Amino acid sequence: MRIELEGVRHVYSPGTPFAVEALKGVSLGVEAGEVLGVIGGTGSGKSTLVQHLNLLLAPTAGRVLVDGEDARSVDRADLRRRVGLVFQSPEQALFAPTVEEDVAFAPQRLGLEEEEVRRRVRETLELLGAWHLATRSPFALSGGEKRRVAIAGVLAMGPEVLVLDEPTAGLDPHARSELISLVGRLKASGMTVVFVSHDLDEVAEVADRVCVLEGGEVRAVGPPADVFYADPSMAPETVRVAAALGGACPAVGRPVRYRETLSVLGRVMGAAP
Amino acid sequence: MSGSVLRTLADLTSTFCEHLTYSYPGAAEPALSGVTFEIRAGEYVGVVGPNGGGKSTLVRLLNGLLAADSGRVRLAGLDPATEPFEVRRLVGVLFQNPDNGLVAPFVEDDVAFGLENLGVERAEMRERVREAIASVGLAGYERREPHTLSGGEKQRVALAGLLAVGPEVLLLDEPTAMLDAAGRREVLDRVRELARSRTVLHVTHHLEELFDADRVLVLNGGRLAADTTPGELFSDAELLRENRLVLPTVPRLAAELGLPFCRTPEELAAAVGKARDGSGVEAR
Amino acid sequence: MTFARGVGQFYPVESPLHALDPRAKVVATAVLVVGLFFVDSAAGFLAAGTVTVALVAASRVPLRPFLGLLRPVVFIVALTFLFQVLFLREGPTIFAWGFLQVHEGGLRLGLLLAARILILVTAAGLLTATTAPVALADGMEDLLSPLKRLRFPAHEVAMMMTIALRFIPTLGEEAEKISRAQAARGADFDSGGLIRRARALVPILIPLTVGAFRRADELAEAMESRGYRGGVGRVRYRELRFRARDAVALLLTFLAAGAAVLL
Repeated sequence: MRIELEGVRHVYSPGTPFAVEALKGVSLGVEAGEVLGVIGGTGSGKSTLVQHLNLLLAPTAGRVLVDGEDARSVDRADLRRRVGLVFQSPEQALFAPTVEEDVAFAPQRLGLEEEEVRRRVRETLELLGAWHLATRSPFALSGGEKRRVAIAGVLAMGPEVLVLDEPTAGLDPHARSELISLVGRLKASGMTVVFVSHDLDEVAEVADRVCVLEGGEVRAVGPPADVFYADPSMAPETVRVAAALGGACPAVGRPVRYRETLSVLGRVMGAAP
Repeated sequence: MSGSVLRTLADLTSTFCEHLTYSYPGAAEPALSGVTFEIRAGEYVGVVGPNGGGKSTLVRLLNGLLAADSGRVRLAGLDPATEPFEVRRLVGVLFQNPDNGLVAPFVEDDVAFGLENLGVERAEMRERVREAIASVGLAGYERREPHTLSGGEKQRVALAGLLAVGPEVLLLDEPTAMLDAAGRREVLDRVRELARSRTVLHVTHHLEELFDADRVLVLNGGRLAADTTPGELFSDAELLRENRLVLPTVPRLAAELGLPFCRTPEELAAAVGKARDGSGVEAR
Repeated sequence: MTFARGVGQFYPVESPLHALDPRAKVVATAVLVVGLFFVDSAAGFLAAGTVTVALVAASRVPLRPFLGLLRPVVFIVALTFLFQVLFLREGPTIFAWGFLQVHEGGLRLGLLLAARILILVTAAGLLTATTAPVALADGMEDLLSPLKRLRFPAHEVAMMMTIALRFIPTLGEEAEKISRAQAARGADFDSGGLIRRARALVPILIPLTVGAFRRADELAEAMESRGYRGGVGRVRYRELRFRARDAVALLLTFLAAGAAVLL
């Protein structure tokens, strides 16, 4: 499934004194099977952007294309199923008496058989390492546990594309790294993942391509090495180290991920990796 | 001088806990168990450890929101459990959630809140509010409404509110956890300035925020696992692992490459360059 | 943003009404509202209506927010009007069609009652549009403080108002966000009958309520940490000064209300 934004503009509260132009003409493609990192600070338009991928928000101008077709002509409910969106602090939307019931919400809305619903609930909770919480109340869980339940709730729809908006915000380092490895596993299973974050180091670990948003416009898009090495002052720590070294030592190349950077530096130092 | 006299002098300015123990009602395990440490006036002490380890509980015991089950807590000679109001003049807390710390519909009213509670005279209040707002770089924001502010701005308003009262001790409970990189920088810059003349206890998951701390306390499972310096903590892989602590990228690379501690990418690059030249692999 | 822009929200402009002491405004509004219930002549309502329109003009608040204020009430106004027109059979018949009879009395009362509702809502809207929420809470606290002697928690009520005002936009944004998150999971808020739609709101209301309680806990901790212990020994940052013009405004209000009632 390929999604494309063509010159998308989005204005909140248009025509009122509170009008805000969050997106000023964004063109971007999301390729099937990739992990796309969307980075930018607060106010850059990241969350607005990703809500256009399944038409939760409609563009004020421009188009959204799904596999070449205008998204408006695609069945809305089906689009929402195929493109799952996990908001920032998704645990704020947990509401059912038990974890199982909450995760079952989306598959039930899809009209699936009870058997199938149960199967999906179990599968996604196990994937998130939260099956042992199934009969607990979502309100009695820790922050990290709640977040896992919320993500399971979206995965239970069986989307082809999963959008995660700042999924690691407020999590401790252990929970963060678990989530990053989840992204890797989802990609391996064939899912397309759009990972929105302001944390460059995280994005560097998982992204196949990176899109930098600033002030509602795309400032750069491409493979992480291309985007980050073009402006090392706004890059993950790994890139900044390699860039600082690169002048004196071109053998460093352009590593982006932690392990790559470690082994490159090790070799450069003369120690065998 | 004998130990007891030293202790009496220290009482008047320091913060300490002795065998501090606390269990939440209905909990199977104590949230804090036998915690003992002392913080001297002017020190900057970090508190780290896995979630649920007792860090937030400690903060609340220090300012009297919770009362210990056993053990002693003193701040400048005062017991927060019996004299919370007096303790709260001296101790300001910056909490994690930027939204839920702001009580008034306008910035300047919120900054004035603490002063109102102390019954400070109105003219003096205005002056202190004005100064506090300026000192966190938010001059001009007086009539803004909280929901129009960014996370970093909200935390700075909360800081201004604390400063207006002028505490000697600052307790920071993961104040940057819900902020993005820009917001984090905004808040930490201000905190660093304010820390210079105050005693600070800073709870965080981001170890890079504690590079300049005097000491770091590690709390795990309600117990004090370590009371050490940042340098020693960062170079102790065992200690880090046992307490589920993760070094930031640059120090981590340095540690895994066997290099001395590095903070910034530039330092690490320089260290790698030096090591390379030293190993004589390639002449410059 | 649909939930956040509330009804009768404060519109920050400079105007003679904005500058008045909130206590004077609250009392004046109360006098107008009570007075309205005693007005029973067309001339009286005309006078009251004219005064209200003049006040709206004096407030320098644009017409749009006021019309927005009246929109939810249109239904009730229409219902009240129709009820009187169709069912009150007093006075000469103006119009008859089958067993539908419109009498002069019904038409007259319908118009008067409709006018009353409209003027009432506009007066209340004037109060909230020209008075900053904080000032309003302070004003209420002052007006209610004599009741403290009767153990009435005037300060606590004012504090609750201030906090509610502070969090309304925040909760509105959260409601918006939760509803979009549930829509992303397939929730449908637009289709089905009344009962279906009401049930569809459960996934929004529950998390919002639970979230609100958690906020309340955290806010209480923050307040206590900042030395809050009720109204004891507390000094208010904002000063309310009752000036000559406030007295004049109150006097004029009494006179206007009196005139409208007597007419």
